[in-house]
Amino acid sequence: MRRVVVTGIGIISPLGIGAKTHWNNLLSGKIGVQRITAFDPSGFPSQIAGEAPQFKVNDFIPKSYRKAAKVMARDIELAVVAADDAFKDAGLQSKAYTETSTLEVNRFGCNIGAGLINCDLNELTAAMYTARDGNKLDLHKWGRDGMQQLTPLWLLKYLPNMLACHVTIIHGLMGPSNTITCADASSHLAIGEAFRTIQRGHADLAICGGAESKVNQMGLARQTLLGRLNDGDNASPQTAVRPFDETAAGTAIGEGGGLLVLEEYEHAKARGAKIYAELAGFGASQDVYKVTTPNPDGHSYGMAIKKALADAKVSTDRVDCMVPCGLGIASHDKAELAGLRFACGDDLQKIPLAPIKGQIGNLAAGCGVEPATAVLAMVNNTIPAAVNTRKLPAGVKLNVRTEPRDAKVDVAVTTVYSLGGQNAALVFKRV
Amino acid sequence: MSRVVITAMGWITPMGHDIDAVWKKLLAGDSGISTTSIFDASTFPTTFSAEVKDFKLEDFVADTSAHQSVGRNTRFALAACSQAWKAAGLDRAKLDLDRVGIYLGSGEGSLDFDAYTAAALTGWKDGATELDSVKWAGIALERMNVTRELEQEPNMPLSHLALLTGARGPAFNCLTACAASTQAIGEATEILRRGDADIMIGGGAHSMIHPFGVTGFNRLTALSTYNEQPTKASRPFDANRGGFVLGEGAGMVILETLEHAQKRGATILAEVVGYGSTADAYRITDQHPQGEGAIAAMQAALADARLTPADIDYINAHGTGTKENDGNETNAIRQVFKDRAKQTPVSSIKSMMGHLIAAAGAVEMICCVLAIRDQILPPTINLERPDPECDLDYIPNKSRPAKVNTVLSNSFGFGGQNDTIIVRRFCA
Repeated sequence: MRRVVVTGIGIISPLGIGAKTHWNNLLSGKIGVQRITAFDPSGFPSQIAGEAPQFKVNDFIPKSYRKAAKVMARDIELAVVAADDAFKDAGLQSKAYTETSTLEVNRFGCNIGAGLINCDLNELTAAMYTARDGNKLDLHKWGRDGMQQLTPLWLLKYLPNMLACHVTIIHGLMGPSNTITCADASSHLAIGEAFRTIQRGHADLAICGGAESKVNQMGLARQTLLGRLNDGDNASPQTAVRPFDETAAGTAIGEGGGLLVLEEYEHAKARGAKIYAELAGFGASQDVYKVTTPNPDGHSYGMAIKKALADAKVSTDRVDCMVPCGLGIASHDKAELAGLRFACGDDLQKIPLAPIKGQIGNLAAGCGVEPATAVLAMVNNTIPAAVNTRKLPAGVKLNVRTEPRDAKVDVAVTTVYSLGGQNAALVFKRV
Repeated sequence: MSRVVITAMGWITPMGHDIDAVWKKLLAGDSGISTTSIFDASTFPTTFSAEVKDFKLEDFVADTSAHQSVGRNTRFALAACSQAWKAAGLDRAKLDLDRVGIYLGSGEGSLDFDAYTAAALTGWKDGATELDSVKWAGIALERMNVTRELEQEPNMPLSHLALLTGARGPAFNCLTACAASTQAIGEATEILRRGDADIMIGGGAHSMIHPFGVTGFNRLTALSTYNEQPTKASRPFDANRGGFVLGEGAGMVILETLEHAQKRGATILAEVVGYGSTADAYRITDQHPQGEGAIAAMQAALADARLTPADIDYINAHGTGTKENDGNETNAIRQVFKDRAKQTPVSSIKSMMGHLIAAAGAVEMICCVLAIRDQILPPTINLERPDPECDLDYIPNKSRPAKVNTVLSNSFGFGGQNDTIIVRRFCA
């Protein structure tokens, strides 16, 4: 069986642009969850989000690609920025950086998870306004003239596969390409699928993970209607998201992108790449319960983790760090703990847990930041903090700290479940 | 590595909802295309589409209580899956549900159009450059329904199929535009080959026949605007082709490891023997002009199947009826099949049922299996004036009996996604 290693990490998160900045700010205790600045949130009950820093996408793409940047929704921009970080980190001279790239592009795959991309309401509403009948859209006017206000390429801004398409075009990647759209689990599943593609020999390299932004009116409205958000801590966003804490009161929307460069082990060695970790195990499963809520029995979630650990041939007593989903929604956290317990038994109390959403919010399909963080924990032998997890519910015993800690990390696990019941786990091992 | 077989199929299409009834219509060269009725498209550049008609979820799923307010895509997915599940004779009580997975290539659900447009227009005023988010939130939070909003997420068909079947194994939705469900069936095959499941439900569901869906494709000038004669509008490979016809629907297949299928005495319809996936890496708006990605996808699928072009009896083309696709696809087939290209029959069922977008590949693969079952090839209708650029045997206008053992099916998506899958008559 071909072994697969991580040779590049790319991140844009509410803690910063670039994997190094994200990691340093994560350890220094910075909180990326703040009052929303992208639009006026005061009409919403929850007014906070993990917003990525301001950036200009043109700074992250070749000059020749600037025209195409005009049809990138923010989700696409986040993926493009994270991909640039990952390629540079991996030392891969793609066609974005040199006219004489020697990459074997047919052996380079791409699998970038994406969400339901929301339209830019300013652009669409300005067009609709020309075809209005009171507060309704007059379809006759719209069909005749209104739609002409939209740029011809309007649709292409919002197709979920455009994250992968722009990245493959910018970097010239022609291998197997896929786009997983399973909400919060998209990134983990995309990394797992890219892992399999390399294992079975259909590619030697792949860029994989995911990106999404829910920091827009529709993103916030949907999560509000679903009752997933903390709407009682607008004045104190720093402590609003409290995974597994007894006072957990909802999560916060977020945005970001996390991508890994995966590479076949011999290929990485041959080109002298720096090798961060081996991706040794992947497991996926589905809840059969309700589409809105994780199953409180934890069976399927636990099965995904068990499958990933078995795939990596690692027992639970060897797990040195786990980055769980940890949404900070009390009922969801409880169901997650049932799944973790199903998979890890009594070892769960010993495994250092690093639920990082307290610092970044929920990046949804951009949760690829979490596997990337798990790899960084291994590289740096440091377990990130659970900054807002101060008191566990009665009867719950977990190994969490409000400060980061040094520890030998030879095995790092990351787990996720989606709104919709898809579950995934990844196991990284030191090479 | 396990061999992977197809043991049952189901679909909801613009030409009907029963495998054999729709197949009969396809062989007769019928059309499922007519004036759009889902919304008033009378002033749109394109006023017709291939709609699913006379469809009630209750005819397929007895208890729909867990599936209220779902999108059209999910309704189609549930009905198609239910057909396939029943045809396969599967009983959840007898299955190890942790080893039953789902891999779909489904699109997003239906927008709550009235609430969406009302909130947006309320938040705007003359001369505005930016939405009034406070006003918008007031209307949106009052008028939008939580379930209808959630059901727009593209993973919802997948989540509902899990509720329908009890499947708890590996579960994915990929959304690679028009290539999605071919990719889903290909990736589901890989999961079974690896031994990570015994059964995979594979397929896709999609509907973009709504005002903004048609707007998007009309602005791209991708749709045919032959409003005078909708049944003549989808003209793959014809010199007068002028764009594709938007369709909707779902196709689902039950995939199993050969061992699992044989053990339970299942009817084996065909074997999935090859899968290839590539990216053009060219432009988001155009296919690679030399068809590099399409060529590579077909070659990868052939290599995966350990077959040569001489082994392929029929090509189910992506064949959208756009100027660009049909010329490029023809050229790509020529490059891969070389001296076999003109002898290998090719057709596009999109000439009859339009383009089901994410669901297209699954529905087309079902046709491939039926072609093998019945030894007959579906036609490309509306092929009246040959295009010198398109010089292959497209099975014009009339179905054709043929010896069909091995079939290759192409699906290409916006942004340069290419997927090819090969199915073969099952031989032990």
